[in-house]
Amino acid sequence: MQGIHKEGRQVIQETMTSWERVQAAINVEIPDRVPVLPMQTYYFACRYKGLDGYQMVKERERAVRAHLEVYDELGGFDGQVIPGISFVFPRRISGIIAEPLYKVPGVDLPRDSVLQHDEREILLPEDYDLIADLGWNAFAEKYYGKFNPRPASKILQWGERQTARYVDDIKVWNEHGVPVYKGGEVFSPLMFFSMFRTLQQFTFDLYRRPDRVEAAMDALVEDFIQDAIEEVRLTGRTWVMLVLERGGCFYYPLKIFERFEWKYIKKMTEAWVKQGITPLLHLDQDWTLNLPYFQDLPRGCICEFDSCTDMFQAKEILAGKQCIMGDVRASLQTHGTPEEVQEYCAQLIDVVGKGGGFILSSGCFVPVDAKFENVKAMIDCAKTHLPAQ
Amino acid sequence: MSELIDAITNIREDEVLRIVRHRLKVGQDPVGLLDECRAGMAIVGERYQTGEYFLGELIMSGEIFKQAMSLIEPKLAGDTRIETIGQMVMGTVKGDIHSIGKDVAAGLLRMSGFEVLDLGVDVAPEAFVEKLVDSGAPILGMSGLITPSFESMKNTVDAIEKKGIRDRVKVIIGGGIVIEQVRHYVGADAFTRDGAEGVKICKEFIRKADR
Repeated sequence: MQGIHKEGRQVIQETMTSWERVQAAINVEIPDRVPVLPMQTYYFACRYKGLDGYQMVKERERAVRAHLEVYDELGGFDGQVIPGISFVFPRRISGIIAEPLYKVPGVDLPRDSVLQHDEREILLPEDYDLIADLGWNAFAEKYYGKFNPRPASKILQWGERQTARYVDDIKVWNEHGVPVYKGGEVFSPLMFFSMFRTLQQFTFDLYRRPDRVEAAMDALVEDFIQDAIEEVRLTGRTWVMLVLERGGCFYYPLKIFERFEWKYIKKMTEAWVKQGITPLLHLDQDWTLNLPYFQDLPRGCICEFDSCTDMFQAKEILAGKQCIMGDVRASLQTHGTPEEVQEYCAQLIDVVGKGGGFILSSGCFVPVDAKFENVKAMIDCAKTHLPAQ
Repeated sequence: MSELIDAITNIREDEVLRIVRHRLKVGQDPVGLLDECRAGMAIVGERYQTGEYFLGELIMSGEIFKQAMSLIEPKLAGDTRIETIGQMVMGTVKGDIHSIGKDVAAGLLRMSGFEVLDLGVDVAPEAFVEKLVDSGAPILGMSGLITPSFESMKNTVDAIEKKGIRDRVKVIIGGGIVIEQVRHYVGADAFTRDGAEGVKICKEFIRKADR
């Protein structure tokens, strides 16, 4: 142990770089201390520095500066999973239109709001058949207007600008001595159809036309795998976020999970791991009953939970097999006290961190209105609290 | 268990609609049919609460119930034998456009016999107050997925107090991330992260109010 933290706790002596520490956790090895990676601190940092929702999106230089300043004021942590708010897109229209549609503060929402996804019925039941016949790329080339009314050339230009900004953001952090991890992001087929059919309509589809849904999923999954590989190549980062929420046990029984979610998760993660990519499974909502399946993921994935899944049960089931990440609840960050955050994080480190394979993080993203002292309490806990032996 | 109840509880859409159409055609009492549909939905709700069923089954059974009701309701017009447990006002609060949690809770409450006055998403405090005053509903359910929604919930409770109706309105907040500290901050009477639990709490509100 070395050094005294300003609150009086001893700082753990670090013998690894942030990158090495995080990699050790992914490899389910024991690092010098538990790595801490609060997810997407951008919105929180900007609000903390007095920027409203519109400024966060539109005044990029100020927002980036705020992000860096708050990172330093928090005492630093083990890197940025996501460097900013831009996206990465492969240079083809099918990759770009698959991104969610957002309501923008100051444009579609009150100025001081946050970006929110506008879930609408963009795809129709007959599109399952078209996708099954054409494959995703050809379908998207032909029907991109369903998603976006602008001409294809404009959509492609927008995608290129987004990607360039994303790469710039990585550079800014690297110059600041901070690693950035995520290079790509895709939905699982189930998540994709649920978002673009809406949860309700997609659920009806699972009961009324399951074979057609499955055929469409079979047809598009390979394109999603390749999109992610392309995004990693464009950014030089090795993590791909696989966005999952709608396929877990909060939503559906295991028989639906097995047929419409698990087999694709397995296919995607196996393909990526073979390419040296780290799949970050962004598992929002409750996946507790699905945990045994994740034992069969390829080694080298990260299972990231948002506080709805039982982390302690996850540890029992996945110990020694998969890296677990999470899960300080958003409301604890906004309405808890630093002592409560510290207590929960210490419990996570003691139980989930034991034997390695754990990354301490926020449950989903750090909320825009998190208390600074609570985010700091999470980070400081990782720097001062060794797992109980 | 009747054929109809069995078809509802096992999520067999075509069969439910076939039975309802047939029974209406042969002149069966629509109130009796409604009671059977509700009994089936109650079993679905129980199965959800015990973990046998999941949200998907709730969504699908809610759709089947809705379709059955569209066949039965025209035959019910003016029938005074239809009773509800009670009224409640619901909505996702201002600044938040997420509807899933609110829709699930509203569906479960309707299945349990509540009349739900659903104001939709991004609902301003004044709109909640106006509906509570107009309807006289004794319960307000507010939903939110993102943390800024907590402030809107608090503003709504403040507006209810200002209007002088807080003592007759029970307030429950819901959402995947609400915790006791948030309930306390908002000034709500109860919180839940689980739709089925929310129904129990609302029934308890009504039971206590009826004493």
